[in-house]
Amino acid sequence: MGRKKKKQMKPWCWYCNRDFDDEKILIQHQKAKHFKCHICHKKLYTGPGLAIHCMQVHKETIDGVPNAIPGRTDIELEIYGMEGIPEKDMEERRRVLEQKTQESQKKKQNQDDSDEYDEDEEPGPSFQQPAAQPQAGYMPPMTQPGMPPGSSAPGMPPGSYSGMPPMMPGVPPMMPGMPPVIPGMPPGMMPMGGMMPPGPGMPPMMPGMPPGIPPPVGHRPGMAHMAQAPPAAGPNMLTRPAMPAATAPSAQPAVTKPLFPSAGQMGSRVASTSTSTGSSSADSQSASSKALFPSTSQSQQTVSGSPHPTPSTSSDPSKPTFPAYTQATASVASPSAGSSTVSKPPSTVTSKPATLTTSSATSKLIHPDEDISLEELRAQLPRYQRNIPRQGQATVSAPPVGPLGGMMAPQQPGMRHPVPGQYGGPPQGMPGYMPGGMPPYGQGPPMVPPGYQGAPPRPPMGMRPPVMSPGSRY
Amino acid sequence: MSLFGTSAGFGTGGTGVFGSTTTDSHNPMKDVEVTSPPDDSISCLAFSPPTMPGNFLIGGSWANDVRCWEVQDNGQTVPKAQQMHTGPVLDVCWSDDGSKVFTASCDKTAKMWDLNSNQAMQIAQHDGPIKSIHWIKAPNYSCIMTGSWDKTLKFWDTRSPNPMMSLQMPERCYCADVVYPMAVVATAERGLIVYQLENQPSEFRRIDSPLKHQHRCVAIFKDKQNKPTGFALGSIEGRVAIHYINPPNPAKDNFTFKCHRSNGTNTATPQDIYAVNAISFHPVHGTLATVGSDGRFSFWDKDARTKLKTSEQLDQPITACCFNNNGNIFAYASSYDWSKGHEYYNPQKKNYIFLRNAAEELKPRNKK
Repeated sequence: MGRKKKKQMKPWCWYCNRDFDDEKILIQHQKAKHFKCHICHKKLYTGPGLAIHCMQVHKETIDGVPNAIPGRTDIELEIYGMEGIPEKDMEERRRVLEQKTQESQKKKQNQDDSDEYDEDEEPGPSFQQPAAQPQAGYMPPMTQPGMPPGSSAPGMPPGSYSGMPPMMPGVPPMMPGMPPVIPGMPPGMMPMGGMMPPGPGMPPMMPGMPPGIPPPVGHRPGMAHMAQAPPAAGPNMLTRPAMPAATAPSAQPAVTKPLFPSAGQMGSRVASTSTSTGSSSADSQSASSKALFPSTSQSQQTVSGSPHPTPSTSSDPSKPTFPAYTQATASVASPSAGSSTVSKPPSTVTSKPATLTTSSATSKLIHPDEDISLEELRAQLPRYQRNIPRQGQATVSAPPVGPLGGMMAPQQPGMRHPVPGQYGGPPQGMPGYMPGGMPPYGQGPPMVPPGYQGAPPRPPMGMRPPVMSPGSRY
Repeated sequence: MSLFGTSAGFGTGGTGVFGSTTTDSHNPMKDVEVTSPPDDSISCLAFSPPTMPGNFLIGGSWANDVRCWEVQDNGQTVPKAQQMHTGPVLDVCWSDDGSKVFTASCDKTAKMWDLNSNQAMQIAQHDGPIKSIHWIKAPNYSCIMTGSWDKTLKFWDTRSPNPMMSLQMPERCYCADVVYPMAVVATAERGLIVYQLENQPSEFRRIDSPLKHQHRCVAIFKDKQNKPTGFALGSIEGRVAIHYINPPNPAKDNFTFKCHRSNGTNTATPQDIYAVNAISFHPVHGTLATVGSDGRFSFWDKDARTKLKTSEQLDQPITACCFNNNGNIFAYASSYDWSKGHEYYNPQKKNYIFLRNAAEELKPRNKK
């Protein structure tokens, strides 16, 4: 960088080593996290200030700065923002930062060679990079060190992530173990959520980034989307002086399609089996007139107030903030996190499921131990697997009147035979239905008062003749 | 007079104002009770789209049925019709014109229910229970998207028995949401995939989960221009992540917040952490509602990052929720979600669907 900044790096908090976009935010952070009285929640300005407050007002002594990492809890050091940080700590930090920079630059370069992405993608194994950046938090946006300097051309098109040529948008990747910035969040809000230290998870991030993808796709935050947004200059001034540019501006046509860059390209990259080329003509649903239920009178659109307008007394206006996530990294022991991460079984589901750790000293996950969804657990019960309609459907009037679904339509020989074969994989699904012959598949008509019996009791399979005929197959 | 023929007469006809006169905990919020609720846990709720006059609520349940009620302006609910599957119903959705309801079930099929004729026909087939179903209306095509525990995402033109397209997923589908042109699917093992639906559906991006626990529910939100821009993802660990697809600053813009936990500030006893069962966004305000296993619902403003309201605790988990098309009604279902396992299941316990006036409580908080 040209002119050396006074602090020479992004503002960071001496107490917990976190990075911030600017000093103002840093100060807010300090006030909320380190200089806040635990008794009355008053926010002070400095450590000594907090100590004095506690003594005078609550007659209590505190022995360290709250939420500070070990070694940085000195309550007597008068630190405000970046002022007051002992010189040796500043130097140590610079050293650490540089180390990180170099590490990831090296890594970047190594990977550049083997990278096979599109050329116009910002040279960017930017995805592998995140691995180098511990705790990069979310999608450590493109720019990784080692990005060819060229891309940091000053003429960084407005679409560029932050607009700051050399800036690494988003999270300062180098911060070892640093949770990402909590910019501008009102104190106490600490929403820095999602800054899961992806760490190991990062590298595989975009495993199969097929070359076809325009760069902005994938984790280029703000890529296309931000094309219009005026690069918020200030806050995005993210460190990494050494880091060459940000990304991806590369004249992406993405500008026109903020969310999903050219759909056409997308089509090719799907790693899946497309059995056919979708685009059928516009739906053929009969655009029935809105006579939904023959006997219903038109009701008005809006529901006038319910009988109980806004009763409840449970709102807590005093606590408007999200009980936020905060510390993604560091202080893992925070009581909030609750149970530890889920153990991951191999992807075979059928074998006995892995279990969750549902209890810890400070919290308990109200969830069965198995790491499968509640619905899967419940569906295993025999009572939900009997493929007969529940609750005495037998009583329901007529014999299976509606051969709904066409699967079970013994009455319609013509229709039926071709059908079983047509529905994808009928063998699997079918057997379930077959038992009992004609399970009253559709209970519809019988349930309903005559008024709703739209169709005669023999709902023609031919309600939708085209459906069943082989010819209409896609 | 029970319109839903099955169980013991809960069908007290049209009186919607059922709310208990005493403050028993089944309806502490004193909201309107929907008549003739299903006989087993309610898995999904959906209100009719704006293209139809009036408000019609569809609810699918573990009793294998899908019920339709008309919600009248005075708050009364009138049961209208019902359809059955041969297995529990896990998801429902409406077509954009409001004439059809699509239902997905553990019986591995999905059906299209034509409300005018009250006929339902099968339109989809999977190798495993179908967990999610959504209607996609694109300029050049319309179809149904079904996500199943068989790890596939299939797209169906309802006229054909074969899927238009089948996409392989890394794991079982646990929840999904669609707001054209975007679709999000959250799978087992914390998988998270975004699809783009223009021209034809294709996988857009796989995202590293912002959450550390099993995914449970997801809902897409839109930006001020009414375009889908991100989603809210809920897990079993009382936490919701707000995630933008292309944020200017992911570190700042994406965040998570804790919810549905017990004894907030009291650290003496272990905190109970409940699953987030469903998330819904208010169609007008853009604020969101979450419902959890703890039996509460909460309203949040994701832009101001504040909580707007939390309800009293119901005596059962809240398993589903949705807003009607103009955001005036918030419907939520109170029934057992299996969060405490088999032992706590009481088949005799009544299930409820409540309706609440949502016009005021979901207004965004003015940012300071």
